[in-house]
Order: sequence, then structure tokens, then C-alpha cells
Amino acid sequence: MIEVVNLTKKFKKVNAVDQVNFYIEPGEIVGLLGPNGAGKSTTITMLSTLIPPTEGDVFLNQKSIIKNPVSLRKILGVVPQEIALYGELTARENLKFFGNIHKMPKKKLEERIEIVLEQIGLQNESKKKVKHYSGGMKRRLNIGVALLHEPKYLIMDEPTVGIDPQSRNHILETVKRLNEEFHTAIIYTSHYMEEVEYIAKRIYIMDKGKIIASGTKDEIKSILSSENTILIKLEQPSKEFVHALLQEPMLSNVNVNEKEISFTVAKDVNFLPTLMTLSKNSGVRLKSFQVEEPSLEDVFLHLTGRALRN
Amino acid sequence: MFLSLIRKQITILLRSPSEMLILLFMPIVLITILSFALGALWEGENEVSKVELAIVQQDDEIQQLDQFLHEAKGSMNITSDMEKNLQQLLPISILLQQIEGNEEMKQFIHLTELQPEKLEDAKESGEYSAILEVPKDFTFNFLSSIYLQGEKPTFNVYLNESEKITSTIVQSILDYYQQQYSLVSSLAQNGVPMNMDALPKMEIASDTRTVDSQTEITSSTYYTFSMTVMFILYIASTLASQAFVEKYFHIFDRVLLARIHPLTYLLSIMTATIILAIVQVGLLFTFAHFVFHISFTQWELFVVMTLLLSIVVGGLAALLSSINYRTNSGEASNVFSNAFVSVFALVGGSYFNISSLSPWLAELGMWTPNGAALNGYLKIYQNATLMEIMPNIIHLAILAVLFTVLAVVLFPKRGGIV
Repeated sequence: MIEVVNLTKKFKKVNAVDQVNFYIEPGEIVGLLGPNGAGKSTTITMLSTLIPPTEGDVFLNQKSIIKNPVSLRKILGVVPQEIALYGELTARENLKFFGNIHKMPKKKLEERIEIVLEQIGLQNESKKKVKHYSGGMKRRLNIGVALLHEPKYLIMDEPTVGIDPQSRNHILETVKRLNEEFHTAIIYTSHYMEEVEYIAKRIYIMDKGKIIASGTKDEIKSILSSENTILIKLEQPSKEFVHALLQEPMLSNVNVNEKEISFTVAKDVNFLPTLMTLSKNSGVRLKSFQVEEPSLEDVFLHLTGRALRN
Repeated sequence: MFLSLIRKQITILLRSPSEMLILLFMPIVLITILSFALGALWEGENEVSKVELAIVQQDDEIQQLDQFLHEAKGSMNITSDMEKNLQQLLPISILLQQIEGNEEMKQFIHLTELQPEKLEDAKESGEYSAILEVPKDFTFNFLSSIYLQGEKPTFNVYLNESEKITSTIVQSILDYYQQQYSLVSSLAQNGVPMNMDALPKMEIASDTRTVDSQTEITSSTYYTFSMTVMFILYIASTLASQAFVEKYFHIFDRVLLARIHPLTYLLSIMTATIILAIVQVGLLFTFAHFVFHISFTQWELFVVMTLLLSIVVGGLAALLSSINYRTNSGEASNVFSNAFVSVFALVGGSYFNISSLSPWLAELGMWTPNGAALNGYLKIYQNATLMEIMPNIIHLAILAVLFTVLAVVLFPKRGGIV
């Protein structure tokens, strides 16, 4: 098990990471969710032993890895947010190089290269220079390099940034398969809540360097269990109607997107008659009315007052 | 593992056409252009400049005369008149008088008397058109050769082969002096005027050498060496830039996570640079050999010089990488390739022989990798010995140690974001 205890990183006077605590058991997937600049990358860079923390420690099976980073590095794979590959080399050459510096025996390395190429779906493109790859293919190879030495723990930092939906699905399925078939424990950081929601069993939500919520999906969503999220669609936008909604004390988290408006309201309140009155007074016709399950996005909004992808 | 790091660096560079263009194609083009464009200037001076003649006397004429008189008294009758005549016949005094006492000659020749210990420096500096070295016992041998059939005297003349016209002037002066001296000495010997044609030829041999000892430097020779030592510097900045890209894209983090020590990585940059530098020099010298017929007869010394220069460039690549990593930017290698290489090339004499502009700059140039190596290559080409290139070797060795130590001290020992 990896435990992160009171991890803190200060850059000059700014606390990029502030007293962060979390853990990951062997074989589980943990999501680290937060907007850009939340401190996720700094946290996992410290966790990867690449920069020392200002305070706190990271323990692998109760032994500090700050003092002994090699013990973790042996069993750790890291997929950085950047494409950490050589564009001038082919996929196979990249894999061979990184396998060699991991001191993998030649025969074993050859076998692993074939397996990894199959896992990331690049068997037929392995002799092409990486600089000629699409963004999605580069991302897949970026993951493949981290898998080469069969790590027990895999840290993935925003592995789907800037790629098409098809490649994104491929990556998410690969991550799931790795966990299910090889029991690789994965720390998956993202600001895409639907990705984290889809693959992670437990989730930590970070904002401004701190963990602001943690638990399973249901546990986190239960923060909003006393509220319903309502989505209404109007026939035409109306400033008067929006103004009336914002003045209504029963509502919170009002979000307006032209003709679509969402808000949260306590479960035990029957808001429908009030809504009808407001729409009538504003001269607006409601096209639809929908009660939605709260999402992680709603939880984040509830906790910080800001949207995840702002 | 270490070999993989090196192989990767080299493969990436070899697959980069723009870098290869700068590192190999550009020097070949420049060597060719400069050799042909400036060849005429190098064939010899077009104008006669003032002859800078230096004289180094290891000999003390008066003391030598006394010694001769002492030894000659046993075998010949020396009268007081003859003794007076001999005092007027001191050979070097006559030469100096001939040059300094002649107004016309003074317009063309500037004579400097140097202490014997300054001889080597004077030869190296290239400041003089010719250096006349009068060895110890010259006067005694000269007098003995005339009166006692003794050993023939010899003095050494070092001609600066890059100044052909002025060198020829010095040679003519010496020939004239030789004839004049023969006449005077014969008259003194016989006490009567004689027809000059009937005079016995004075047996003074002058051993004429070029300053650096010898093989002529042509423009193609000069620019082969000067462009090679200049363009080798670009390997350092290229590899350092390459290394920074590895940090920028977090490839270096992956290297660290593979449990490679940061200094092992740094050493791989240095080693890859050394290998590439040796290959570059080898290819450029091969080109020069086949196209310009430049021969590398003292190949062992060329290998020594190339190896040392390559190590310095390797240290430089490591240092630039360290600064790039430390400042988290690729500026150090950019500034080096865009500005420092040009300054080094100028001071180190890659564009032209800087000593003709300023001996001080030439001395400073010896503290640049290219300057020290260029000077060393030229000396080896002119058949210098290992001892004669020792200053160059020492300069390069100091630079190599300095760059490497600084690189190791500055290189960060962890990766990650800053």
C-alpha cells in the first residue's frame, strides 16, 4: 500500500500542495480529480519521488520512500501529462530504449515490447517514427512505455488531454483492462470527472492544493443527497426569469446556459408550483423539466462554488 | 544501459537533417569557399611591409675573440695590427652595423635584439619576419675557420613562411652580408685590396628554417583546421539542447525513474558528444585529405589533439546541459551557439590569424577550445613535436577539467517540475 501523509509543497510563498493525505491499496484504481492548477501534478511528482516534499512523507508498505526512493521506483510506472517520447525514434525503438534503461534482459524485453504494443494497439504502427503519429497514438505509446517493466503501481497524469473521443475510449478501456487482468494499482488524475467516475473506485477531489472531498463515488455524491439537481429548458432565453430564479431563496447553484438552466433544491421541497408561477410572471414557456442525479461536477460546484473546467 | 543512452543521443542527432546540415555540410562548404576565395591572399603577401628582424645572440663576441687569440697564439704569429683588424672583423657587429648604419635599409628593416630566453616565444608569436640566432662559439668558430681551418660556423635563421617577400629580403641581405664579409675578411687577412671574384668564399653556413618548422600553410590547410575546430563547438550546443528537450518533455523523469543516476545521464551526454566530435573531425579531415590533399603525417599527434578537443567539447556539452537544467530553459545552449561560438571563433583565429591583429587576443584565444586546438593542429601540421604542442595540450586539459567539474556541480540531482 502507498500512503501519502501530510504532503506539502511550497514554491516560494505559495502552497502548491497543502497537507494532502490519501492512500492506494494494491490492485485498486484511485481517481484524483480537480481543475487545472489544483496541485494534482505536483502531488504525483512528489509521489513519484521526483521532487522532495517541503513537509510530509510518502510510505510504501510503511517505509518512507523519500529516504529510499529506489524501492518505489522499481515497482512504479508513471505516465506524465507530456508526451515523454522521442519523436525521431519509432515506437519500437522508444520501447526498446526505455526497456534497456530499466535493465530488462534482452529476451524478456523483446517479449514485453510485443505484449505492450498489443495492449496499446500499435502493433501495426510500431516501425513508424513517433513524430508522424496522431495525438491519440502518442498518448497510447506514452502509456505503453510506463507499462513495459510491469509496474505494480501506475500513476497516470491527465492521460487523455487533447485527443479524439475514440482514442480516449481506447485509453480508458486499456486502463480498466490493466487493472482487471493484471491487478495493477492505478492513480488516475484528471479534470474530466466523467473519466474518473467511469474508472475509479475511490476518488479524491483536489482544489487549491487541498483534498476537499474523498470516498467512493456514492459517498461523495451523498454530500448532495439532501438536494436534487433540476434541469429545465425554455422556449426562449429570458433574463427576467433568470433574475427571478436567482432571487429565489430555495434554490442554489443556479447555472444558466442560454435556454438551459440547472439548479439544486432541497429534496423535501415541492418547488414545481413556484417554478410555474415564476415562468408565468416572466412570460416564459417551459419546454421540459428534469430531475437529475447529482454528479461529481455538482459536488465540486457545491464545495467550491466553481465549475471543474473553469 | 549506458550504451543505450549514448546510442539514443547519437541516433536522434543523425536523424535530424537540419543539425547534420550545420555540423557537417556547413563546414565543408565554408572550407571550400574560404580556401578558394582567400587562397590568393595566402599565397603570399602582395605588399612589402617593413621587415621585422630579430637577432638573438647566444655568443659574446669580445670574449670569443679573446679566446681565439689565446688559442691562436700557439700556432700563428699575431701582431698588434692583426689584433686590431680582428677587432674590426667581429661578424655580428658588422651585420648590425650594416643594417642600422644604412639609412635606406633602416626604412625597410626594423631590428630588435632579443634575449636568448625569448627565442621560443618570438618564434611562436609570428611577430617577426625573420629571427637570426647566433649560437654560442659562433665568433670563435668563424675566426678559427678562416685562420686555423677550424669548424665552419653556423647561425640559424628562422623565416616566417607566411611573409614570403620579407623573408626573401632577409635572405638577400644575409647573402650580401656573406659576400661583403668574405671580402673584408680576405683583405684583412692579406693586407691588400683584391678582386672580389678572386676572393675565397667565406664559409658561413646559414641554416634557414621557417618559424614553426616547416610545412607551408595554405588557405585550404588553415581553413580546414579553423572551420573544424569552430564547427565542433556546435555539437556541444546541439547535444545540450537535445538534453533540455528531454527535461522539458519529462523524458528525463522517466530516465530517473528507471533508476539511472543523474550523473550517469550527464556522463552519457558528455560521452555521446565526444564520439560525435571525433566522427565530425574525422569526416572533415578525410574530406580535406581527398579534396585539398592535406596530409596528416604526424597522425598520432593529430589523434591526441582531436581526442583532447573532443573531451573539452564533451565537457562543454555537459556544462551547457547543466545550465539549461538549472535555469529550466534552453537559453544557455542557444546563446552559446548564436553568440559564443562566433566570439570564440574570432578570438580563436577561425576567421583569420588573430595574432596579426593583436598578440594579446591571440594569447586569449589560446584559452578557447577552438583556439588552442587550431594552434595545436597547425603546429602538428608543421611537424612540431609532442613537447612543442604541450602548451596546447595543457590548455585543453585545463578547459576539459574546468567544464566537467562545473557541469557536475551544477547538474540537478532530481528531476520533476520546478
